[in-house]
Amino acid sequence: MTTYDVTVIGAGAIGSSVAYHLCEKGFKVALIDKGDIAHGSSSHCDAVALICDKQPGLDTRMGAASIAHYAELAQKFEYDFEFDRKGCLYVCETDAEYEAASAYAARQAADGYEMGMVDNKTLCEMEPYLAKDMVGGIWTPGDAAMSPYKVCFAFTYEAEKLGLTKYTYCNISSVTPVSGGFHLSTDQGELMTGKIVNCGGVWAPDIGALSGLSIPIQPRKGMNLISEKCEKISFHKVLEFGYMMSKFDSINFKRNVSPLVEEYNVAFNIEYTHANNVLLGGYRGFRGFDIRSEVEAMKAIAERGLRFYPVLRDINCIRSYAGVRPFIEDHLPIVSEVDTLPGYFIAAGHEGDGICLSPITGKLMAQLVAGEETDFDISGLDFARFAAQKASA
Amino acid sequence: MERYDDEIIVCRCEEITAGEIRQAIREGARDVTGVKRRVRAGMGLCQGRTCEKLVQQILCSELGLRPNQVGASSPRPPVRPIAFGELADGEVV
Repeated sequence: MTTYDVTVIGAGAIGSSVAYHLCEKGFKVALIDKGDIAHGSSSHCDAVALICDKQPGLDTRMGAASIAHYAELAQKFEYDFEFDRKGCLYVCETDAEYEAASAYAARQAADGYEMGMVDNKTLCEMEPYLAKDMVGGIWTPGDAAMSPYKVCFAFTYEAEKLGLTKYTYCNISSVTPVSGGFHLSTDQGELMTGKIVNCGGVWAPDIGALSGLSIPIQPRKGMNLISEKCEKISFHKVLEFGYMMSKFDSINFKRNVSPLVEEYNVAFNIEYTHANNVLLGGYRGFRGFDIRSEVEAMKAIAERGLRFYPVLRDINCIRSYAGVRPFIEDHLPIVSEVDTLPGYFIAAGHEGDGICLSPITGKLMAQLVAGEETDFDISGLDFARFAAQKASA
Repeated sequence: MERYDDEIIVCRCEEITAGEIRQAIREGARDVTGVKRRVRAGMGLCQGRTCEKLVQQILCSELGLRPNQVGASSPRPPVRPIAFGELADGEVV
């Protein structure tokens, strides 16, 4: 039977990063996935690493640390994951939005993050194809983009140089705690591992159930449209301020949009890719694990896109796609050991920020597994918070 | 079955050769989607209408699999390219 120090389950943006960072520390690591590398949410998403869509505090700190780490990895890795520090504009349609955005940006700037406001004139210069009637926006120069599945391929490629063993298309039938760790039965053989890191994203609850754990992650669907290759029409990552509202339903903010856009909770965002396509989003909805494209949502995304980039009217859409984000009610991921099951760790639940937070999550998780002090306090990401919430409810 | 030379372009939209597809298979791709993610075959304007069968054939011959074991690209609307304007106006997808 093969023995590993640590077994990482799930080879998406989180698991591949965790596996890489563990290998870097010298652990003997196995990475198991029921499918290919990046076959789940990490290849059914867009990919940006932003701080300007984070809640002030720990959420933003994670984002900033992750983007800084991405920049280091882009230098260091042989595998090119298309890291592009394009900067991000959050555009405001109304004075009310601009006011709310200014307060948010001021709060983030006070915490030391590079974020400021730009007016209509600057916006029009930075994004010449953007509708001319925007009030202004938040500008975050350090925000970045990358190819989401290439991030996963890059981490596994680099980790294999450090001794990683991959088990793709591998199904786990049981996880049994034994002296010194866990015994895993899989359709590719029996494994012994000292520790386990569950990086299953939306499937983390299924993996957790094998060990009797109840992990409160739900699939939250997203959808994007892809354009044909075209002349560059956007030069940064651009989102509407209403995006924040669609992400955090606690923000009570009503936009002047059509019933269709409202119904599908569509918030405009656009990004150019390295292949000269444009990705147009986005949408949030609870549809279980159904990731079929919804035609009405496609219409709503196109309609909202045209409001901000009228030039899209004559550009062709060649494909739609959809995926599921691992949603947790408090919008914070789990990055912790399970207190009731020593040696079992969880890094999951990043809801649409998995690509962004992949590098820092891998780094912090490797520190936790090694029993080291983490770069900063992440007790807010503890799995035990759910048991505490239940007890106080 | 005919073996395509490595230099032959299989995906015309993205200009991906048979050799690049074989390289993707060596890197771990086991199905049409795995090839697509690694080298972009099938990601262009025609969305694999021309090359998907060829990619399937190469997967089958390289891995010794049957056509029903190498999958297909997920069916997704629109069925043909449509301008974002037509889509927003509610034209049939």
